[in-house]
Amino acid sequence: MDGSNGAVIHSRGLSKVYKGVTALEGLNLQVPPNSIFGFLGPNGAGKSTTIKLLLGLIRPSAGTASVFGQDIQRSSLEIRKRVGYLAQDPRYYEHMTARQTLRYTARFFYQGPGDLIEARVEEMLELVGLENKADRQIKGFSGGERQRLGIAQAQVNYPDLIILDEPAASLDPMGRHDVLAVMERLRKYTTIFYSTHILDDVQRVSDRVAILNHGQLVAEAPIQELLAGNGSAVMYQVAIKGETWQAQKLLESQPWVQQVLSSEGDGCTSLQVSVSDEEAAEEHLLRLILEDRGLMVKRFGRKTYNLEEVFMNIIDGRNGNDS
Amino acid sequence: MTADSGVDRSALIAARQGLVPVKRNGRFDGFENILRKELGDWFGTRRWIVQTILWLVIINGLMAFILFAVPSIDPSEQVSAEENLAIALDLYFNFAILFGSIGMIILTQDEIIQEKQSGTAAWLLSKPVSRSAFILAKLLSGLVGGLVFIAGLTAAAAYVETYLVSHQTVQLSSYLMGTGVVLLALVFYLTMVIMLGAIFEQRGALLGIAVGVLLGGLIASQFTPLVSYFLPVNMADIALAVVQKQPLPLAAVSQLVATGVWSLLFTSVALWVFGREEF
Repeated sequence: MDGSNGAVIHSRGLSKVYKGVTALEGLNLQVPPNSIFGFLGPNGAGKSTTIKLLLGLIRPSAGTASVFGQDIQRSSLEIRKRVGYLAQDPRYYEHMTARQTLRYTARFFYQGPGDLIEARVEEMLELVGLENKADRQIKGFSGGERQRLGIAQAQVNYPDLIILDEPAASLDPMGRHDVLAVMERLRKYTTIFYSTHILDDVQRVSDRVAILNHGQLVAEAPIQELLAGNGSAVMYQVAIKGETWQAQKLLESQPWVQQVLSSEGDGCTSLQVSVSDEEAAEEHLLRLILEDRGLMVKRFGRKTYNLEEVFMNIIDGRNGNDS
Repeated sequence: MTADSGVDRSALIAARQGLVPVKRNGRFDGFENILRKELGDWFGTRRWIVQTILWLVIINGLMAFILFAVPSIDPSEQVSAEENLAIALDLYFNFAILFGSIGMIILTQDEIIQEKQSGTAAWLLSKPVSRSAFILAKLLSGLVGGLVFIAGLTAAAAYVETYLVSHQTVQLSSYLMGTGVVLLALVFYLTMVIMLGAIFEQRGALLGIAVGVLLGGLIASQFTPLVSYFLPVNMADIALAVVQKQPLPLAAVSQLVATGVWSLLFTSVALWVFGREEF
């Protein structure tokens, strides 16, 4: 037993120190199969360091990690045979064409037959929309075209795990849309582990998210759990027309209400009600407000967070604690 | 988690498509593919035309000028056929080793450093490519390039020039052995440059040390004959003696052995350093 418990990526206390500077500290991570796993964090958080460790491009200072249950140091070649990787700033041989680059990549995995390799290359070119530029030298490619080529070369070997380091960073909105579509399409065949700082993308496609800050894992959960305010107080939002001060006082007097914040806008009063007991809130909150017959409730619902809010709360909270 | 992450699904899908996986060789994984690409860079592009012209002009062109043009300009330089043969051989082996060594340093200076700086080395090593395979493929392609363009073509051209100037032929087997000595000198500088490329991140240090060893060794050997026991400083004289079947110069055997040992040592250090490199 390798202890990975079926996880595609499993790390235990994985750390990396560069010349006395800690880039990654005690990372414990489990990436389940067939998930799209978003790896978030501000610049310098340790995302690329983690990816390089998994690929054997750098060695850990402490801790262990496995990919497909195989140790990243002892079985790096075996692991890389089943992985597709797109670097943050992908670099290829500038004099080679896109087709030659994909053929070269494919030849690290397959010895033949030549026609099937060519067919796979063609398939990849079509997948990323580079078929019209297949025979142009890469030195003339834009950042977006390089990124597309990067995605193609990362998939040429039907990888069981695709590792993408900031895959959409240099793409325009259409390019980003295409990349996300490709990721969603691949979900049923493979596991995708990708780092990014584009939170909208993560929210759209990820199943699970880990947030890294200053080299430490500060949150890891399924995306829905994070967006539901995992770890934060449950909050309801109510938009009311009419004089709300009485209703507000009534709510504040309830033992399960922690805080009521109000703000004005669009001819309505918005109340944000933090509660400690979700069941009591579901049962009584709206009824209590409607006891005042002079009030009209325009909107009512549990507040959901977007990933940016969650991310900023976690990062700001941690940075605040650090200082 | 229910899915088995240990199942090599990528291999199963590829097999279903009819693709045959590359046989794994451990320390040599990726060697063949990299070597094919590197040789393609030498022979599959216009580089081979440039290199062919370059070395024929530098070595054989200069040789032809001295052998054919100078005597016609200055009739007092007319000498016998035997002397012409000796001069031609002397010119060739000195030019091939001096210019060839400098050329080898310049041609291969970027082989490792450029790949490290540009990020292509990191890209390749994210594939099933062993670090040893990367270094060995670079060495072998450099060796083939050096053998064909610097040693092989120029040696063939020099053989013809030697005949034209002296109307005498040199025994082919001894001539090839002399060319082998040239190649050994080139291997020394090739392995040194690959090693320095693995160690350093900047070309300046690499060029400084490699050219320093080349020129410094030649100068030092004028003052301290001891240098010729362990550095390839008299390789032209050795090659000439081999071709002309004359007694080998003092320290020739030691120099040849030392050159081979240095080359192996440089290769080992390159493999060790690159194996520990972080990208």
